[in-house]
Amino acid sequence: MTSPEEALALARERAAAARARGGYADDFARFAIDPVDAVTLEHLLEWAVVEPDLSELRSTRRYGAPITFVKRLLYRALRQYHGQVLAQQARFNIQLAVFVGQLADRVERLERRHER
Amino acid sequence: MNVHQVLSGAGPYDAVTNEALDFRARFTEWGWGGRDVAAALDPRMDGRVAPLTALAPAQHDVLLIHYSAYAPRVRRVLELPCRKLLLSHNITPARWLWAHEPMTAVQCAVGRSQLPDFVSACDAFAADSAFNAGELREAGAGEVTVLPVLIDPARLGPPAAGEPSRPTTLLFVGRLMPHKRQDEVIRALTLYAREHDPHARLVLVGEPLTARYAAELHQLADAIAPGAVRFERSLSSAELAARYREAHAFVCLSEHEGFCIPVLEALHFGVPVVARPAGAVPEVAGDAALLVADEDPAVVAELIHLAVSDAALRAELRRRGAARVAAYGPERTEAALRSLLESLQ
Repeated sequence: MTSPEEALALARERAAAARARGGYADDFARFAIDPVDAVTLEHLLEWAVVEPDLSELRSTRRYGAPITFVKRLLYRALRQYHGQVLAQQARFNIQLAVFVGQLADRVERLERRHER
Repeated sequence: MNVHQVLSGAGPYDAVTNEALDFRARFTEWGWGGRDVAAALDPRMDGRVAPLTALAPAQHDVLLIHYSAYAPRVRRVLELPCRKLLLSHNITPARWLWAHEPMTAVQCAVGRSQLPDFVSACDAFAADSAFNAGELREAGAGEVTVLPVLIDPARLGPPAAGEPSRPTTLLFVGRLMPHKRQDEVIRALTLYAREHDPHARLVLVGEPLTARYAAELHQLADAIAPGAVRFERSLSSAELAARYREAHAFVCLSEHEGFCIPVLEALHFGVPVVARPAGAVPEVAGDAALLVADEDPAVVAELIHLAVSDAALRAELRRRGAARVAAYGPERTEAALRSLLESLQ
């Protein structure tokens, strides 16, 4: 019998043995969803274009189906107005993200020059 | 005696809300009054929790503030002249959320940074684990009482009579959030299936942080373990109990847990637990789980294999798990909660 205290050491041993005979060859590291301490420029650019998720436009009340219907009806009726607002906001966001990217490049170039 | 509970948000599948409702049931049994309010209310609460604006305590009433997320309007409660108990449920570190849900990340960052302000305005302190109590002390609280989550896993029903049927089923229960690392559980399942049991499957139960994050996890599952991962949400108690009874192992690779109720639920159902020793998990699981801090997913997969296939090990984990669940019986929390609130009267 393997005791709970012995299990981890045994698992490590078996994993190493399996690797030695070619097991666990798949590398799934690229699928990791790791934390980030700072948002990257790629994130900013991705978020710059505002794309509301219409599936979130709903009511979670017990009899919410008619409320969801009315909300979506209102959205359709105001689509032209919302389109203008979102386009203006996206334009500003993208320009700002690009500007931040250019600034970051300039700072990096200056830092490199300073290091030399 | 009147005890009013203040929550930053209330929803039907929220552990803090459920605990507040359990507390209210106890208060009623003890003949105490008061009401429960929240700054943000899910419509599905059906009036069981009132909006924050409904809070109108008398000077001698006691406020129990559940601190679990930033909510700007909750701060105003600190100015009320009542005595206050701050119960910290822990807030997820923002670094897990910046890339996925920046608004929630901001709320977490601000919530964690404002904890010292709440500490300085409250009269007594409690946390639902020693891990959370440590964070509360770092924020300036002196004496902190550990009030384990008031949970009785037996409410979900009894464990299954025998071993679950095939195929091998791994289970994790918890919101689909980056720090819960469902992505790592999916990878562990894939490796386990390739090395030991090609028919193995994984059930992930939990409400998603966002539709986009859920879609990322679905894409990952479709790419490396097509057809082997089932995502479920909004389960009833009976459905959740059925998932535990069907599981061969509960795999929790979460990187941050303030308590982790599902670990106790899994122990109640006699499901062997393989877990990362993060946050309060080692404290809650004790010696009844197989804890693995290794980054190597192959070690996790081998540990899962042991938990699934070694009958004697499963039996020993079940025996220890039952003792662990008994140690978290509601009596201990009830007595500590009552004594703490009465001391504030």
